[in-house]
Amino acid sequence: MMNKHKFSFNFKWWQMPMFGFFVMSLACIFFLTDVNASEGGPCKDYGECDKFKYSLNDMESLQSGASTFMNYCYGCHSLQYSRWGRVATDLQIPEEIFFDTLVFDKSIKSGDLMTGSMSKDASVEWFGVAPPDLTLVSRVRGDDWIYSYLRAYYEDSSKQYGVNNLVYPGTAMPNVLMALQGSQKLICKNIPIIAGNGGEKRDQAGKALTKEKCGFLEVPEGSGQLTKDEFDKVIYDLTNFLVYVGEPSKATRERIGWYVIFYFLIFTAVSYMLYREYHKDYH
Amino acid sequence: MSEMPGKLFGWLNSRLPILNTYERHLSKHPVPSKVNFWYLFGALASVVLIIQIISGIWLIMPYSNTEEEAFASIEYIMRDVDYGWVIRYMHTTGASMFFAVVYLHMFRGLLYGSYQKPKELVWIFGCAIYLAMMAEGFLGYVLPYGQMSYWGAQVIISLFGAIPYIGDSLELWVRGDYYISGITVSRFFALHVVALPLVLIALVFLHLVALHEVGAGNPEGVDIEEFLDDDGIPLDSVPFFPYKVLNAFVAIGVFMTVFAIIMFFFPEGGGYFIEMANFEEANPLVTPEHIAPVWYYSPYYAMLRAVPDKLGGLIIMGSAVAILFVVPWLDNSKAASIRYKGIYSKIALAFFAISFLTLGYLGTVGVTEVRKTMSVICTFIYFAFFLLMPIYTKFEQTKEVPKRL
Repeated sequence: MMNKHKFSFNFKWWQMPMFGFFVMSLACIFFLTDVNASEGGPCKDYGECDKFKYSLNDMESLQSGASTFMNYCYGCHSLQYSRWGRVATDLQIPEEIFFDTLVFDKSIKSGDLMTGSMSKDASVEWFGVAPPDLTLVSRVRGDDWIYSYLRAYYEDSSKQYGVNNLVYPGTAMPNVLMALQGSQKLICKNIPIIAGNGGEKRDQAGKALTKEKCGFLEVPEGSGQLTKDEFDKVIYDLTNFLVYVGEPSKATRERIGWYVIFYFLIFTAVSYMLYREYHKDYH
Repeated sequence: MSEMPGKLFGWLNSRLPILNTYERHLSKHPVPSKVNFWYLFGALASVVLIIQIISGIWLIMPYSNTEEEAFASIEYIMRDVDYGWVIRYMHTTGASMFFAVVYLHMFRGLLYGSYQKPKELVWIFGCAIYLAMMAEGFLGYVLPYGQMSYWGAQVIISLFGAIPYIGDSLELWVRGDYYISGITVSRFFALHVVALPLVLIALVFLHLVALHEVGAGNPEGVDIEEFLDDDGIPLDSVPFFPYKVLNAFVAIGVFMTVFAIIMFFFPEGGGYFIEMANFEEANPLVTPEHIAPVWYYSPYYAMLRAVPDKLGGLIIMGSAVAILFVVPWLDNSKAASIRYKGIYSKIALAFFAISFLTLGYLGTVGVTEVRKTMSVICTFIYFAFFLLMPIYTKFEQTKEVPKRL
């Protein structure tokens, strides 16, 4: 009887490599906990990019974004894969009004590509680099990035144009929208120290303890034509427009998608019923 | 008049084995009556192959295979061609889904021993299909001529240069130029749309012919040919048509729903199906911060990076694919299915799967010291699974395989 319960370990030679194999596998899983080593995010010094949620069916927003783009950006940046007439149609702007108000070169025709209005050679001379084409910027950088970038300029007298950017440090682009936004500054603030228990740390007199932390963006009130909220809305619309230009069929795609999914669900249901019926033959 | 169709069919059938083929491969082809969902990915793979061929043909029409116009022609398809975006996303989503179903199909093979005697050739043709798909996918990824197309191609083609003696000239021969250019794009185009699809179709044909010769497997690892009825038809089988076809239809419905969700709502797959950097035109003067392959190559890319020496990396990467071909001769087990194999086989397969997925993850992220160590360990596990297979399958305790399904 005792023999049955006696612990015995019948070690065989071939189990050796298997043992090593399992130990290695476990080590691999152990290391998995460490893989999320911090990598700098796309928004660099800005930290986490601000979240952007596009609304491609909001024509007012897209039209306002297009207007901002034509007035402030198109002078330097082209949208070379996009056509004028397509933008007017998609944004539901009557072509006459579109060409009267947003197209400044009167020789342009509806089917032309939006190839920009500045010569590449001249721009290299003026800015050091040619301003990039922006047709696909929302797909290369992402909409969160654009939305954060355009709102992350701050005064920096050491730079060529007197401004720098937290999202794209050393950017070659001046802050074109400064007149609207005002002159944003990088400031330091005294913020409460958080104790281990989650509350604010206080001294013996009960006064909150603070420490200085830098890297905050602040616009002196009244230095720009718009309030912070109004400016954020301008950038929202502009980003929304760039998302549209990046993929003009995106709104259509997301609309049609529901019908296609619906079709395949019906297809699945019908084939399942048929399958079940035939399945009875052999079960 | 009413006899015409019958007469026509008779005329055709006496000159072409229509009825014979239909009965042999569809209406009378016996397949195991009891299989599980793992057995559906083969059918799905053929559906994706058809999607890829059809969407591919339509993409060729507006695509331009020159250095100057390749990138712009993709945007032309996305914007100016009516429903061009549907065709293009179908093709990009299809590429990822092709690999997804093929990986699951191959895992099924490992799980239920679908390579064991007499199915060795079916497995080998399958491995060859996988190899051809990898080449096809790589060539196709270069065609949009974005930043990742360019730099990905740069990395892969430069691997040829690591081969001793002939490396440099081979590299030049593959590229057709001293650097990647329109010449490379246009020859990759020819290979992607003509040469490799022909190879793929031929291999798929052989894969299926071999499969129909030896018969499909089942998750129990039972040989259904052992018990036949009076007509010589296996007792545990049903005719392929209509039973298995209907089974596949349900799978196709579910699969296409997933396909549509990706295609219409997440075509970039979070940067894993279409990489963000590939929306920027190829620029030989600017190296992207971080060159990563698309997800389906990333396990091998991680292996490549795990080895400090370029030639060594190339050998490891090549062996990782090559070793798949000899699996039928590595498995000594009496049981085919994992259900009746011993505990060592089960654990080994589980860890193999984990290491492959981990390698897949590591191939998509930047390199750190810890990640490099992990890649090395996982590469070891990957090979240990295969190289130790003759040992653990021979000595471990297996359960008895039932006689009937």
